[in-house]
Amino acid sequence: MNLIQLKRQSWNLAIIVLALVLGAWRISQLPQFGAYEARTFVLGILPIALLSMGQALIIIGGGINLAIGAEAVLINCLSAKYMLDTSFSKSLMLAVVFIIVGVLIGALTGWIISVSGIADIVVTLATSFLLVGVAMYVMPQPGGGINQTLADLISGKVPNFIPPLICLILPILLIWIPLYRSKLGISMYAIGSNKDAAFLSGVNVNLTRIKLYAFGGLFAALSGLALTGITLSSSPFANISNTATLNSVAGAVLGGVALSGGVGGLIGPALAALILYFIPTILLAYGIDPAYSQIITGALTIVVVLLGGLLRKRTAGKK
Amino acid sequence: MASNNSLLSIKGLEKSYGSVVALKNANFEVSPGEIHALLGANGAGKSTLVKILTGVITSNNGTISLNGKQLTFSSPDDARKNGVAPVFQDPALIPDISIQRNLTLTSTNEARFVSELALMGLKVNLNEIAANIELPLLRMIDLARALSHDPELLILDEITAALPIDLAEKVITVMNNQKAKGKSVIFISHRLAEIEEICDRATVLRDGINVDTFEASQGSEERIVQAMLGEKNKRNSNEARTSRSSLSSQTLLEIKSISGGKHLKDLSFTIKKGEVLGVAALEGQGQDLLFEILAGESNPESGEILVNGKIVTFSHPSDAINLGISYVPGDRKSALMPQRSIRENLALTRFRGISKWGVINSKDEEVRVDDAVSSLQIDTRAKSQVKRLSGGNQQKVTIGRWVTTGFDLLLCFDPTRGIDVGTKQQIYELVREFADQGKSVLLFTSELREIQLACDRAIVIYEGRVQADLPIEKCDEENLLNAAHGIAVAK
Repeated sequence: MNLIQLKRQSWNLAIIVLALVLGAWRISQLPQFGAYEARTFVLGILPIALLSMGQALIIIGGGINLAIGAEAVLINCLSAKYMLDTSFSKSLMLAVVFIIVGVLIGALTGWIISVSGIADIVVTLATSFLLVGVAMYVMPQPGGGINQTLADLISGKVPNFIPPLICLILPILLIWIPLYRSKLGISMYAIGSNKDAAFLSGVNVNLTRIKLYAFGGLFAALSGLALTGITLSSSPFANISNTATLNSVAGAVLGGVALSGGVGGLIGPALAALILYFIPTILLAYGIDPAYSQIITGALTIVVVLLGGLLRKRTAGKK
Repeated sequence: MASNNSLLSIKGLEKSYGSVVALKNANFEVSPGEIHALLGANGAGKSTLVKILTGVITSNNGTISLNGKQLTFSSPDDARKNGVAPVFQDPALIPDISIQRNLTLTSTNEARFVSELALMGLKVNLNEIAANIELPLLRMIDLARALSHDPELLILDEITAALPIDLAEKVITVMNNQKAKGKSVIFISHRLAEIEEICDRATVLRDGINVDTFEASQGSEERIVQAMLGEKNKRNSNEARTSRSSLSSQTLLEIKSISGGKHLKDLSFTIKKGEVLGVAALEGQGQDLLFEILAGESNPESGEILVNGKIVTFSHPSDAINLGISYVPGDRKSALMPQRSIRENLALTRFRGISKWGVINSKDEEVRVDDAVSSLQIDTRAKSQVKRLSGGNQQKVTIGRWVTTGFDLLLCFDPTRGIDVGTKQQIYELVREFADQGKSVLLFTSELREIQLACDRAIVIYEGRVQADLPIEKCDEENLLNAAHGIAVAK
């Protein structure tokens, strides 16, 4: 790794250090630390980490998807409704179907944005209402279920923490790394960085955006399925989708993705989910009011982003 | 020239944007192994023609034939595959990714790119992020990338504007190499001397029509200017200025050995009231920082700035503005609010004239703005959004706002970069008018011949110091160039 690459990885390194410090702090609060506790950690971050990664892809491409949480909630409701009391093979088949549904919803969103020329934030705000509405129609009340074998494959049998960890790492290995190296990956950075230059370089801007939203939908679907696998039920609530969306943006930004587009990766957002998970749990363990812990999480996000901004300014030099 | 042996043949090309006609019946031919200059005032349709040729936009009417085959380019990629490769003034490299990934994006052969760059005597770290590379080098990288695709037709759009002399020479070598290989080049430049020197033929556009095509040779300059401006607007040929005896002896600004950044070291000079002081330098001698310091954007590491004999420090550009020092930056885009109207852009800096309670006297503002528009002859056809103005008119707006605001010292950083001869002339005249009103101007230009046209005196910066301080009679291009390269000039 040369110096330039090292500089580019400095954000990830800082996030890892912060996550380790917070992790050590959290562990010190527990009477013991073993597989069971590790599993709790991983389950705590899996859905939001996946969602942050999907959001990160879209933000890197110069967009933002405010419907990503709603999409995850919809897939959560769909899967919990139709996977209840099914065989393993049927649940698995349904999982594939719902992943495709997620990809299609994402692609459709990207298509609407490209064709209409309306800002991402407006289109996806509208689709977020729409998708939550559909989710509440699918599952008017919390409930549903999933085949237990599939659930164990997602969340691991207590105290096995390996399956959820695989669920977290596999998308990075199988989706992110190949994507980053592909022409689509470069095009993604290109349209987020400078649309005109991307166009002049031969990038099909609209098609790239549609593909990115499709990938975002894929991650949202994975997140929704993970939620079903962990909770064994569905939560058709608008506030869950809103919180999830905002956390996905916070995760992406904490993870080193610039809201202006063109900068960042997916590993940072995945790690940032750990930070977003540790802070409230640590504070809760001290008996601190959840309201305060919200304030502290918010303040920390600002501080981290501020420090990152200053760091970037200094390394980039005055322009 | 018969169209059957030309490489590129454009016939009856038309393009309009809404009611604005950019091109009406443009005809244009390029032979194999020819360097062909494409000229025209801003708004003549050059950019539109280039955009159509490179697949950025499509024409409403007319035909393009390449090697006798009629084609339409649907995208820049399409044009590239057909052997047409453009290099624009703003490099088409993605800022946030590495050069290597930029090459992959355009399916450029890496080894080929490196060797093209090496042929120009340049080297670059392929892992470097494009945004971290300085603009002149980035343009050369873009050029090397275009060359890697071995284009039949290379289109260079204003690539030498604001390029330091050594790099500009490399571009010219590249063009001659292409020609020697039997490939063709379309060269767009506002530097007429370059065109005379290297182009075989020149075509001039005016109001969307090709008005003249001729062999470029020494002395074509007059014909070019005439064709560009049309008979009606014919101007006096540019005349070098001589020293004024009437210059005031009062010093307005004094710089005492300021240092800062990588480049500025112990720089000192003075400007008198009503004086236009030219600044000449090769790229990267610290001139950018000097202007930023004077504009209150940066602080020097050491040294003093005296305005009217008093030491001043600026903590914000508004401090400089309040002392009457106004800055017209080199990059118009960084000065303008592109989506807003001419009026708002002109009135933006007029906060000194606003009443105590912050209410804008819109009548007064209107009068001042109208004054600026008429005295600068700003083309107001697209007045609702500045981004729709031509480059020359945008530049007039950036200067015009200081006319509405008022100033004592105007800092102009390369104000004529990439704008047409006619507008350049207007800007020189404007600068002279300021001087006649007793105002001072500090004018940096990358086009050395401008100094004798607009200034009273010039300093040449070399390695962060004033290498030469020359009276206007001594400011011919040869002397300036020598000093810019650190060679002593006889006083």
